[in-house]
Amino acid sequence: MSQQILILSQSHLEGTTDHVCQWLHHLQIPYLRLNGEDLFRLQHLSDLPGNAGVSTVWYRRKISSFPAKYTLKQPDFSTQYTLKRFLVDEFNGLHSFLFYSIDRHKWLNDPISEDYLNKLHVLALARQCGINTPFTDVVTSKTAIAQLLDSYPELIVKPLSECIFLEDTEGGRYKMLTETISKENLRTVPEQFFPSLIQEKITKKFEIRTFYLDGDCYSMAIFSQNNRKTKDDFRNYDHQRPNRTVPYQLPADLASKLDQLMKSLRFKTGSIDLMVDMQGNYHFLEINPEGQFGMVSYPCNYYLEKKLAQWLSKQHSHEKEICQ
Amino acid sequence: MSLLCDLQMRKFYHLPNDTTEVLLFLQQHTIEECIAHYGEDNREAITGYLDFLISKELGFTDQQLLPELTALDLSWDRYSDITNVIIEYNENIDYSSAFFRQLFDLHIQGLEIRCYESISLDQLRGLLDVFNGTTMRFIKLVLPYSNALDLPAMDKFVKAYPPVKSLLLHSAPEDKQEKIFEGTVPVTFFTRPINSCLGCGEIRSNYFVSNMELFTESQHFNTCLNRKLSIDAAGYVRNCPSMREHFGHVNHTALQEVLDNQAFQRYGKIRKEEIATCKDCEFRHVCTDCRAYVEDPQDIYSRPLKCGYDPYTNTWEDWTEHPLKQSAIALYGLEKTIR
Repeated sequence: MSQQILILSQSHLEGTTDHVCQWLHHLQIPYLRLNGEDLFRLQHLSDLPGNAGVSTVWYRRKISSFPAKYTLKQPDFSTQYTLKRFLVDEFNGLHSFLFYSIDRHKWLNDPISEDYLNKLHVLALARQCGINTPFTDVVTSKTAIAQLLDSYPELIVKPLSECIFLEDTEGGRYKMLTETISKENLRTVPEQFFPSLIQEKITKKFEIRTFYLDGDCYSMAIFSQNNRKTKDDFRNYDHQRPNRTVPYQLPADLASKLDQLMKSLRFKTGSIDLMVDMQGNYHFLEINPEGQFGMVSYPCNYYLEKKLAQWLSKQHSHEKEICQ
Repeated sequence: MSLLCDLQMRKFYHLPNDTTEVLLFLQQHTIEECIAHYGEDNREAITGYLDFLISKELGFTDQQLLPELTALDLSWDRYSDITNVIIEYNENIDYSSAFFRQLFDLHIQGLEIRCYESISLDQLRGLLDVFNGTTMRFIKLVLPYSNALDLPAMDKFVKAYPPVKSLLLHSAPEDKQEKIFEGTVPVTFFTRPINSCLGCGEIRSNYFVSNMELFTESQHFNTCLNRKLSIDAAGYVRNCPSMREHFGHVNHTALQEVLDNQAFQRYGKIRKEEIATCKDCEFRHVCTDCRAYVEDPQDIYSRPLKCGYDPYTNTWEDWTEHPLKQSAIALYGLEKTIR
């Protein structure tokens, strides 16, 4: 049975998948792109790609949005939300079957580790690999924060999980971003609160976004410090004065420690966020195994979409040899 | 002079070579070393250069050299054998034929449709529908001005065809620039008629573009013709409508034959570094070049005919008046177009 590369993605808002597929097409490498949306036209479970027909898997995205709206006959707000959660779980129940039905070694990244990646665990692993990380804690009280502010003049608070977007009843959209806490605004912090991740605030010279692919690091420096709007978080983007983004070469010892970290997570690819402080020290922040790399690829002229296509092709030939 | 290109912000700065020399020296040396090297007398000039760089956000100062800020990789590649297409529209050509289907299966990114004669919106719709469902991201329309093409009509039209990102209306009553589709689609009104490709190939400073795509492609290939293909009004396949050679007719030629033809591919490989005069020009990697009209029609490595810039004196002159260009102007039959 002939094997092909399997790409799990979504049907739209995924320029990176489109580009990689166009490179595969151009390089004449057979691939199958399965978007989450396609599962809504599945006739039988047996129509899913099976282990025998798949040489290697790139798990990029699950789905953008369900192709149809599902409602209860008598909706109210809380049941509507519960239903939405339930449908997401139902979808995941089907989608993640692939994680088990296709041999684990064929996946670019271990899909289960990827879906359940834990920030605190990644920080702990990074420290074990000898990578410098900002002081990190999880606290629930203002007094704990006040004490920490004695050692660190400024702290930041950010989610333990992922940032979310919120919508109000008028349709206004709010982005969740990193916030700074200092002695000046400590009074706005409640006495007790939900367990929250805090980190020492690093005064950055610049940020680094590294795309990692099977041992190689492709890095970009992001200069946002001049730009007040993006001081805490470069995602708070300024379209008039965009951040300067330029190619960057990580020191070899840091690159090899990051390689060790990625290998210990069984990830062959991912985006790594780092920060360089005013003294030139590196601080590891986090890994996004499915992070956008188009934003690194284009400004640095790295052709990462092509490199990934070539990598998939190499894996594909390798797997074919084993099968024969 | 030299050119400092900011590929990210899409800007460029024309600098004296002395300034460039200092900036290149600073790649490996500290500011104080630089001042020591060029002498204390030049301190003010050097700090002036640095202030300029910082004010344009082209650099910053630090306590140490940062060798980790590596040079940009200037390689270039695309996932399609043809990236840009020009079609000289002719209502008698079938744009849904096999040749065009094969062509647009190549993931063409940009398409220019030139209409010298008037065309109705219905005809235009019929033509654009052919490209529906392709990955085309950018279509430019060149059309003769007509009363039916008022701004609201064009606005409605481009909203129905989102890949249409730019319009040029020739033979218009006045020269002006408008924008439609919430300001995203420029419409240029141009008083002169465009009734053939003879007017093409002008080199002007306002055509210069400083961006990653052009700058990197220009290091390796000819930015005018590399991976570009045209179908002229008679249906002949060419590198560009203005090029003399053709590579067969769309009705009788398979696309692959054209792509495999060494003669079709040869112009795309001519780099600026190989072209007389251009090889010394500071604008060479922001310029579009032209291989169809060259100063010496016998020599494909001669400079574009329609360029009036002299990189040795840094002056622009009217190329149409240049005595050395008159024989080429006559040979290409450009007299009527330029006077």
